[in-house]
Amino acid sequence: MKVIHLDMDCFYAAVEMRERPDLANLPLAVGGGSRRGVVTTCNYEARKYGVRSAMPGFLARERCPQLVFLPVRFDLYRAESTKIRNILHRYTPLVEPLSLDEAYLDVSASDRYAWDIAKEIRKSICDETGLTASAGIAPNKMLAKIASDWRKPNGQFAITPDQVEGFMKDLPLRKIWGIGPKSAERFAGKGIQTCGDLQKLSLPELVRQMGKWGEELYHLCRGRDDRAVEPNRIRKSLSTEQTYLENLTSAAQCERAMEDLVSDLLADIQMSAADRRIHKAFVKIKFADFSRTTREGIHPSPDFETFRTLLLEAWKRKAHPIRLLGAGVRFAEEAREFEDAQQWLDF
Amino acid sequence: MKIAVTKEALLEGLQRIQNVVSNRATLPVLTNALLETTDTGLQLTTTDLEVGIRCTIPAKVQKPGSTTLPARRLAAIVRELPSSEITIEVDGENIATIRCGASFFKIYGLPKTEFPEFPIAGEQTAITLKQSELKDGLRKTSYAISSDETRYVLNGILFSLADNKMTLVATDGRRLALFDTDVEFPKSHERDFILPTKAVTELQRLLGEEGEVTISTSENFAFFELSGTFLSSKLVEGNYPNYRQVVPGEAKERIALERDAFLNCVRRVSLLSSDKTSSVRLNFTRDNLDITANTPEVGEAKESLTIKYRGKDLSIAFNPEFLMDPFRNLANEEVYLELIDEMSPGVLKINTPFLYVIMPMRVSV
Repeated sequence: MKVIHLDMDCFYAAVEMRERPDLANLPLAVGGGSRRGVVTTCNYEARKYGVRSAMPGFLARERCPQLVFLPVRFDLYRAESTKIRNILHRYTPLVEPLSLDEAYLDVSASDRYAWDIAKEIRKSICDETGLTASAGIAPNKMLAKIASDWRKPNGQFAITPDQVEGFMKDLPLRKIWGIGPKSAERFAGKGIQTCGDLQKLSLPELVRQMGKWGEELYHLCRGRDDRAVEPNRIRKSLSTEQTYLENLTSAAQCERAMEDLVSDLLADIQMSAADRRIHKAFVKIKFADFSRTTREGIHPSPDFETFRTLLLEAWKRKAHPIRLLGAGVRFAEEAREFEDAQQWLDF
Repeated sequence: MKIAVTKEALLEGLQRIQNVVSNRATLPVLTNALLETTDTGLQLTTTDLEVGIRCTIPAKVQKPGSTTLPARRLAAIVRELPSSEITIEVDGENIATIRCGASFFKIYGLPKTEFPEFPIAGEQTAITLKQSELKDGLRKTSYAISSDETRYVLNGILFSLADNKMTLVATDGRRLALFDTDVEFPKSHERDFILPTKAVTELQRLLGEEGEVTISTSENFAFFELSGTFLSSKLVEGNYPNYRQVVPGEAKERIALERDAFLNCVRRVSLLSSDKTSSVRLNFTRDNLDITANTPEVGEAKESLTIKYRGKDLSIAFNPEFLMDPFRNLANEEVYLELIDEMSPGVLKINTPFLYVIMPMRVSV
């Protein structure tokens, strides 16, 4: 398989910089206009000051007082995204968009070098939209995604099949999809820092420690990933979660944490699924003793209050310290006629 | 290791365990069966890391030992062997020589050390019931299991052990099947757990009409012991939804339906239910039930059944598959349908502890 992962460079900020050349050289962030606005994207100038995406607005301003904070203009980004997608489709029908600014392309069927295709795509995007993109070229999706980050911004990087083994050996574990800071920390505690370190654990051992996820990790840390590029993949749900360094112990703490999660989630929905119909909202809790619970309800347009209620209902079941909170929505099925007609049990 | 075994015993043992082996060889040893000699015979084990099965068959042990051999290939060979007397000899390199009459096979195995450990049962929480009873309960509920992986807690059957009762529940969010049976056990054994679909399927295959089954659990596993066979399964993590809250209260109408007649009518009518909405409509009038379906630009179907019905006229639509599922899996001649109105869930009952809640469809035709 030859996969290209194409990732626009600080997409929203880049679009704004193109629209407002007068601001192009200033530190600039695009973010939610709400009371607790977070930075959705920022340009490289802002990153020099330590501003990062998903950072609360007040903190970003603290780090960079002269930061220009612009409201998000999704319609504009969506229009650019459509243009970019059309460019991608000139090369292969197998384009799987991940969000407005990211996509996988399967170019296995082309007899050209994937490297040249990626280069040409990036040039076309730049010529036609004035925006820069980075690309990763690899034998599978996971590696392509890691590679696109390697020469960012405005660069590309390839991992050929014979380089995979050497590349994975020294790759920090954190680069693997699904390994968050908490898991990375846990592994580091056992002296496991890189994928190479993890490769020393046998499959049965990993499975004993992590269950099914262990089986996946076993392959991922060897650079193996057999997921296909799926052009028509329909997202069934969208969620966000956070593991806390210190357990949440009071309802008030949980509510505050939930507020952050919900604003992230609603921003995500705006970004990558604004056109989808929402069917349900759900809240997920992992308690300090690792037991889990979820609570969901039918809410076509969930807001913070919806999630707060679900959270309290779920928390009441155990009222135990919490180590992880998650919030998400399930989208209505595309086969609307049937789904609308069939009634659901009211759990 | 060297053993002599009959074809019949070995084949039966392999058939009990071989379904579990994974076809996709993520870990090559998982396509193998673990063979270990015991004092009285040969112990066979397979696992896919979620579900494991172990059984022992009678064999003459000439030299104790162990190895792992490709399970399906071994079963295929044994099935074709010409006579009953089989000897299997394994050398230090895990190469097995199988001899039977004039037949000779050499197959390559993998060492036992690569095979995952079989989880250990938690003895103290064991409950015992008749195999036939558990088999009956699984049959009456398992068709309602959800296959939607985004709702993973529904990808299995809830076993709820409380108040000297074992309750089994399965649901996919649109219908729910519930079975319960009396089992005696101390308060300390009370617990809820969710057995994943694959284990349910295997268990249904292993359960017979005779004998007993012992169920025990540890924190993350359930264990079933039946007629010398052990099945272990990881449990589905998470909380099962509160199924009691979706069982409707008192019904307005209780209609007795003759199982075969009703099932046949729905099956025929459903041939003309549309692919998009897939519904059949039940129209109840005095002592009569009309079952209808139609698809625009294709056609329509209607069946009439004579029933006892004295309530007010009522019309309600269901997905025909959801309606037929319990009828296909119940042995009773008479099934009772309880209804409130056309928007409320319907309930199917029989004269033993079983319940099936089915949500209607909101369709105009």
